[in-house]
Amino acid sequence: MYNNMGPQPGMPMPQANTQPSPFGNPFSGPGSGLIRSGLGAYGEKIFGSSSEYVQSNISRYFSDPQYYFQVNDQYVRNKLKIVLLPFLHRGHWTRISEPVGGRLSYKPPIYDINAPDLYIPLMAFGTYVVLAGLSLGLYGKFTPEALNWLFVKGMVGWFLQVMLLKITLLSLGSGEAPLLDIVAYAGYTFTGLCLAVLGKIIWGYSYYVLIPWTCLCTGVFLVKTMKRVLFAEARSYDSSRHHYLLIFVALAQFPLLIWLGNISVNWLF
Amino acid sequence: MTKDFAVPPVVFPSGGSSAGPNVQQRRFPATPFQPPRPSSSAIPFMSFDIGSAAASSATPAGPFGGTIASSSSFGGGSASFEDEEPLLDELGIHPDQIWKKTRSILNPFRINQTVHKDSDLSGPIFLYLSLCLFQLLAGKIQFGVILGWIVVSSIFLYVVFNMLAGRNGNLNLHTCTSLVGYCLLPVVVLSAVSLFVPQGAGPVRFVLAAVFVLWSTRACSTLVVSLADGGEEHRGLIAYACFLIYTLFSLLVIF
Repeated sequence: MYNNMGPQPGMPMPQANTQPSPFGNPFSGPGSGLIRSGLGAYGEKIFGSSSEYVQSNISRYFSDPQYYFQVNDQYVRNKLKIVLLPFLHRGHWTRISEPVGGRLSYKPPIYDINAPDLYIPLMAFGTYVVLAGLSLGLYGKFTPEALNWLFVKGMVGWFLQVMLLKITLLSLGSGEAPLLDIVAYAGYTFTGLCLAVLGKIIWGYSYYVLIPWTCLCTGVFLVKTMKRVLFAEARSYDSSRHHYLLIFVALAQFPLLIWLGNISVNWLF
Repeated sequence: MTKDFAVPPVVFPSGGSSAGPNVQQRRFPATPFQPPRPSSSAIPFMSFDIGSAAASSATPAGPFGGTIASSSSFGGGSASFEDEEPLLDELGIHPDQIWKKTRSILNPFRINQTVHKDSDLSGPIFLYLSLCLFQLLAGKIQFGVILGWIVVSSIFLYVVFNMLAGRNGNLNLHTCTSLVGYCLLPVVVLSAVSLFVPQGAGPVRFVLAAVFVLWSTRACSTLVVSLADGGEEHRGLIAYACFLIYTLFSLLVIF
């Protein structure tokens, strides 16, 4: 339904084997440069040894971040439509997988609208911080320290969301989805939050309509995504526990988003 | 109640009398004391050489704020003083290059990209100090905040650009910081202009800020995309990241 390709004159052709498999080898390409410098303290100890065990362990916990940034304009637009209005998505929600080098891996976000990416969550988080600063300023309470607090609060909210999803996965027997996938899914809630905060800035009362709407949309999006992730990963299929956990995920969005959407200088309300 | 300090006498090793007050007669070229290069003696202060200073006072020194690069500093006892580079060159500060780069951003419609090819950090430092100065005039002491935000936002832009560009992205952090710093110029102008706009969060301030932020964004994203490979098909995405950065700075100015 969503065609992400569009006219792409300068793009490298996908069939040529230029793109590494997403979970296979995170140590090549410029993304690896960032991983290397990020984990620079361990230097030769980790990357010098080419032991399969070490490499596969790292790639299991921290998959190649390069994969999550293969996006383009059309993908961003369509994905925002899905996240903000998940009811209207008529297609399926499963990710397209392709066999790469003998292992099954998922197609990158440009080719698959259901693949998670990290660009939108990062930008949505930044937009949330900026808009929250704007709304603080309109009420006369803006200081740079308050903005730092808002940043930390947003990070805590993101972390709580990641914990929620991770615990859901773990309690169903398998927590094997890559961490960055979960971070990406959790970060999509910030898009709806930005909309709510923007509404609050433009007209105060619209906030009371937008927050339940956002909670609902985020809940539906996460439920549909988690359902597919659980089907892909879970070994035992326990139907009622499945459903209760999914409903819990959806209901937990309400307090979390209300807390995050309430822009003020102190921690709680 | 006064205390008596035992003031050690000021002893010049050559060519001068031992007491301090006779310094007035000498009429040094109007530069203040500059310690000589630590190449010769262990205690730089004590190897202060009046003789060569008197000899070189024939060269017109000018006031201190003038050409620092002139050889008006005191000789430090190293023989090759005249062969050394002027101070600004040695520090890597090229005022004409800074001025050219700044002027290229002043035109919001056509940005000359070739002049930004070699990145330097002294222009951004100068722009940072002038932004802090205008904020100080508005009553906000935000030196540390602005510096921290410049660092964080340049790291942010560096990460986003290199991740988006993939395996052929070659923006390096120095260039990124240099570009973020130079494109702060419209924000500096905004803070100067908003000193004269009346207080209160009226729509005038927001419209003004929006104009300058868009100018900054356009300059920064054009420069980043043209100076580093791999960003051509992601212009909109990178422009949004730049927009976020400069909106953050404009928040500091407006509120």
